[in-house]
Amino acid sequence: MTSLSLQGLTWHPYSRAEPTVAGLDLKIPAGQRVLLTGPSGSGKSTVLRALAGLLDEESGELAGNAPGPARPGERGLLLQNPLDALIAATVGREAAFGPENATLPREEIQRRVTAALDAAHVDLEASRAPLEASGGQQQRLALAGSLALGPSALLLDEPTSMLDADTAAAVREAIVDTSAGRTLVIAEHRIAPWLDHVDRLVLLGEQARILADGPPHQVAAEMSLSPAAPTAPGPTSAHDPGSGSPPGAEAVARLQGVVAERGGRRVLEGVDLPVQGGQLTVITGPSGAGKTTLLRVLLGLTAVSAGIVSRPQREQVAFVPQNPEHSFVASTVREEVLASPWAEDEQLAQELLERAELTDLAAANPYTLSGGEQRRLAIVAALAQRPRLMVLDEPTVGLDAQRHAAVLELLEAACAEGCAVVAASHDQALIEHADIEHRLTGPTAPTDPAHGRPDRTIGPVPRRRPIPADALNPLVLSLIGILAAIGSFAVQTWQGGLLALLPIVLLAPLTVRSLRGGLLRLTPILLSAAGLAWTTALLGDAPSLSREAWLLGAKEAARITVFVAPGVLALGSVDPTALGDALGGRLRIPARVVAASVAGLVRAGHLGQQWQIITQSRVLRGIGSPASPRLLAGATLALLVDALRSAQQQALAMDSRGFATATTRTWALESPLRRVDLLGVGIAVALGVWPLLAELLVG
Amino acid sequence: MTRFRTVDLLVTVVIGAAFGVAFLGYGQLYTLIGPLTTAFKPAEGLLAGIWFLPAVLAALIVRKPGAALLAEMIAAVLSMLLGSQWGWGTAISGLMQGGGVELVFLAFRYRRFTLPVAILGGMASALLEWGWEKFAYYQEMSWTFSFIMLAFFLLSGALLCGTLGWAATRALAATGALDAMPAGREHAARLRAAEEHATPTAPADPGSRRTESGRFRA
Repeated sequence: MTSLSLQGLTWHPYSRAEPTVAGLDLKIPAGQRVLLTGPSGSGKSTVLRALAGLLDEESGELAGNAPGPARPGERGLLLQNPLDALIAATVGREAAFGPENATLPREEIQRRVTAALDAAHVDLEASRAPLEASGGQQQRLALAGSLALGPSALLLDEPTSMLDADTAAAVREAIVDTSAGRTLVIAEHRIAPWLDHVDRLVLLGEQARILADGPPHQVAAEMSLSPAAPTAPGPTSAHDPGSGSPPGAEAVARLQGVVAERGGRRVLEGVDLPVQGGQLTVITGPSGAGKTTLLRVLLGLTAVSAGIVSRPQREQVAFVPQNPEHSFVASTVREEVLASPWAEDEQLAQELLERAELTDLAAANPYTLSGGEQRRLAIVAALAQRPRLMVLDEPTVGLDAQRHAAVLELLEAACAEGCAVVAASHDQALIEHADIEHRLTGPTAPTDPAHGRPDRTIGPVPRRRPIPADALNPLVLSLIGILAAIGSFAVQTWQGGLLALLPIVLLAPLTVRSLRGGLLRLTPILLSAAGLAWTTALLGDAPSLSREAWLLGAKEAARITVFVAPGVLALGSVDPTALGDALGGRLRIPARVVAASVAGLVRAGHLGQQWQIITQSRVLRGIGSPASPRLLAGATLALLVDALRSAQQQALAMDSRGFATATTRTWALESPLRRVDLLGVGIAVALGVWPLLAELLVG
Repeated sequence: MTRFRTVDLLVTVVIGAAFGVAFLGYGQLYTLIGPLTTAFKPAEGLLAGIWFLPAVLAALIVRKPGAALLAEMIAAVLSMLLGSQWGWGTAISGLMQGGGVELVFLAFRYRRFTLPVAILGGMASALLEWGWEKFAYYQEMSWTFSFIMLAFFLLSGALLCGTLGWAATRALAATGALDAMPAGREHAARLRAAEEHATPTAPADPGSRRTESGRFRA
């Protein structure tokens, strides 16, 4: 076991005017369980990073002493948003990441993965995709990722703040279970659920100064007397249900018998929901029950397969996404409030800023605000539109008590003015404030095995519908594309080009999973080839659009198809994880670069979803059409901000799992070269020389 | 300083991946100039610079050897895996586009990260990419048109890659998203200098505020 200590620690990030931690002395004996609390911005997270030995002296000035871990993975770190910690395409590879960095042999990796997934109560098959799991499962998976390295200390940064009450309890249970025999430090602003599980409570103030330190219940009792201390969220203002909604008020929007699908799966089944002006409606339900889909239906972003949807006109509907940064378009807070063309009333904007206590920040860049300030800004920017319907996705998630109350006040004020407010949420305090709770149960999701332990065997990323090309090593598939591309330069005539296309046409069926998928891949190629034929016929050396020019164009079209088609088709069966195993494990390309690249590519799907939310939030605000350069530029900036912020968190999560020193690492799965790969190499060579032979044949 | 921290690696990779995703949305931009390019293909070069943005952003943000090349290669590989119509040609394009920016920053020994260097980087990428496209795709286009296309490429590289990339880096630094990166540190120093300049005698600066998050801003 490890004792942790910070001696006279001062940490001054280069980006801040003042240190975030000033002269902190903290000693945690081995095996002690410590709860660290304090208001947002008191430096809890920084203290955890210091304890983990992850303060980076390239981004700030460190004084004092913060001894680092003795071995990689000795101190596990869990982050507030589990999404930031995830790096792999499957649950098994996720848990294997640390052991891979520690260059453990493959059998040992599998053993560690099985034990860690069991210990952290992860109920998912090893082949499932972490990014598609629920928040609670993701956090337990992140815990398993740390446990796989046998940490002697666990450092947890608000591990349950993004989760609903039940899920949080399950995650807490997993953490408490696994913490036996380890040093444990938890940073949290909601302390009550942890009090019985810790030995010590430390209250931090500005710049991580210790305000109180002692037995948990004693310190907690002292804190509740002090007005500056955070309190558990409770009723914040007297709320009179029905005050703003006279009976029989007309519905602002209405769903009748709505049936909707998401990703080919039916998630809403006959939903009836009248939305009244002046009422706060909260949509609840477990993750996957269709809360987001219902919001999308209400906003007109998802088409329904049956049922009737009525909603106000476009400019009377406002939307606040879960991450407020996704909706930001302006460079100052004041401009942000008036950014929508439907928000014209400067007087109202000023009032709203005052109501949200953002007046002092009117000239600040919205992205630099704190989480709570950003949430309020996004809400007032929506209200500046004078909407009849305001739709919010998880408006209170991750906020501490004070900021939580401020958001509730804004929502209630909106209701009082007759706006219909609909929020998807699993926040109990918000639900208690609602006039109507609409609970979605969702169709029984075909999730995890109800009986028995899930399969823990690390395997390749599962493919729907296997194809012959899957049997080949990604390197061989790459070789096929590369040699065919080189060979294509031998095409000199249109007849030779057509003949060169023949084997590609014959082999293509071995590489496509479905007719539709194959067409999707081939259509762009054929369009480009047609485009090239046209360009050549028009702008070549031959007289424009003459017969000779067209034949030259046809030759070019055939040549370019021979050039690209084999590569595009062969790559269609490659996934980033297998490619990484081949490049890192087979070709010995620098391990850290390969592993980081795979982590980035695995996230592409997630980034795609963010891109969709970002562009749709903007379209809903009336900022422009999806093809307008202004909208695309703003959306790119927002996507980059989102991606860069999570990259920085992800780097921490990876370093706490021993990635910083992983210049050599093992790869949990070998990248086999089998006999069939010889056949693949043969195909590659044949495709490479065939165009030359074809030219000789047509003479 | 040349060692890649994990955060440097991830930021580089993520710039590539984010653009790989955004590029799918950019396809719509080509519909805007569609009529122009159907009649005169070389005009497509006017938008070429956008594709080199990951390289110049990575170079300006991460400021380490290889960042530009890696970011552009990630964007290219992602496009390939998603089914880009140019297949392995995309990988070579990634190499040319990332390599052009990389070479220019190398020529300045990774010490200058200014607008003119970014513009030069964009133009170098444009030159290399044009050379590759001329060789692989436009062999039969007459040299006259090819050179017109080169002019479009260079213009686009200077504006849409160099200038826009430089401006985007400034905008990103202003959001605080680059705080752990050299570009973010420079931005913070610039802010502080401006602040000190504005109030040379007042140590307790009344113009600055501490916000609830403890973040500091001018």
